[in-house]
Amino acid sequence: MRFVLLLLVSIAIALATGFGLSYYALTDGRLFGAAQIGPWISWPDLGSSAPNPYSRGHLTREAALQLGRAEGLKFVATTDSAGDALDLSCAYTLLGHVPVSSFWTLVAVDGEGVNLAAPGTDLALRSSEIARTNTGAMVIQVGKTLAPGNWLELAGSGAFSLELTLYDTTAFSGFGSDNDTMPTITRGACA
Amino acid sequence: MTRVILWLLGGVLLGGIIHILVILTLPMLADETTWSRVSAFEAKNRMLILPAVEAGQPNPLGLDPELVYGLCQVDLDEGPAYLRGMLPDAFWSLALFNEAGAVIYSTTNRDGIGQTVDLGIFNADQTRLLAQQQLDIEEGLLVVEAPADQLFALVRLSPPHGVMSSRFAERLAAIQCGPRR
Repeated sequence: MRFVLLLLVSIAIALATGFGLSYYALTDGRLFGAAQIGPWISWPDLGSSAPNPYSRGHLTREAALQLGRAEGLKFVATTDSAGDALDLSCAYTLLGHVPVSSFWTLVAVDGEGVNLAAPGTDLALRSSEIARTNTGAMVIQVGKTLAPGNWLELAGSGAFSLELTLYDTTAFSGFGSDNDTMPTITRGACA
Repeated sequence: MTRVILWLLGGVLLGGIIHILVILTLPMLADETTWSRVSAFEAKNRMLILPAVEAGQPNPLGLDPELVYGLCQVDLDEGPAYLRGMLPDAFWSLALFNEAGAVIYSTTNRDGIGQTVDLGIFNADQTRLLAQQQLDIEEGLLVVEAPADQLFALVRLSPPHGVMSSRFAERLAAIQCGPRR
């Protein structure tokens, strides 16, 4: 009886560890090939010609058209800088700089990758379209409530993620110690 | 007590093996891949403009709504493939993908190419013939050696403003793609 119990516990631990670790590695993946700057996560190896097994698994799971390493990098944020999940009932402020790049775009999507821009508005914000502070920093308001300045107007409800794609970027290339920086995401008022 | 700990450690060890097996076999077990999604577009030997992203609609390929995408599938078993044409004076990039959805080569117009797309894609045997000067190519052709025959090329073109998208799409669609005829 004791043997059967130990065997069952051992198998349960094996299944939980094996599949749980695999799910974590292919979603969050911070310990397995994903790189994190603040709340932003990117998979730099996705665009290489021989991605590591974890990046290959992530690539298979997404089945999307990845950016080649020479083309750029996509950063995804599912939480704000405090670690709370992004929710459409709240307003958010992005503040800061991005690594050197030719240009970047910012979109908001749901868990299925559906674009959440409000009807009749631009689907994305682009670096060439935004006003900046005197220091060159970007300040972008994201959410459903009317906001001054650069505003990515969204519609819908529930959790969402932000995708910031840098084209022709020097991120993670050792370009400079202060190059690998991303904007902070601060939660504002919630409805 | 020692026996219980050994059983638990055995479970963790087995979990590690399961984890490695899952990660390594996942690419082989997937039904819907980048390649299968791209193949549905029937873009063999022609530059096909992908449908624009719309708000509220699925975007399985993860396209950026600010860009115009041109897709072309090639089979190097039919001979070397060429991409030729001129693009508008704006940012563009080009990536070659294999069947696994991995990017085997990528470049941008910032790499000194300018507006001209002039790319030749060769497999290992064709590259050998090229080195032996048994294949004629024009001067200035950017030669890329591909490790596999089944590939697709993706050109990302960035119109500075949304109103220019349709004109940029027309220019991108005019890029020649496929074996030399």
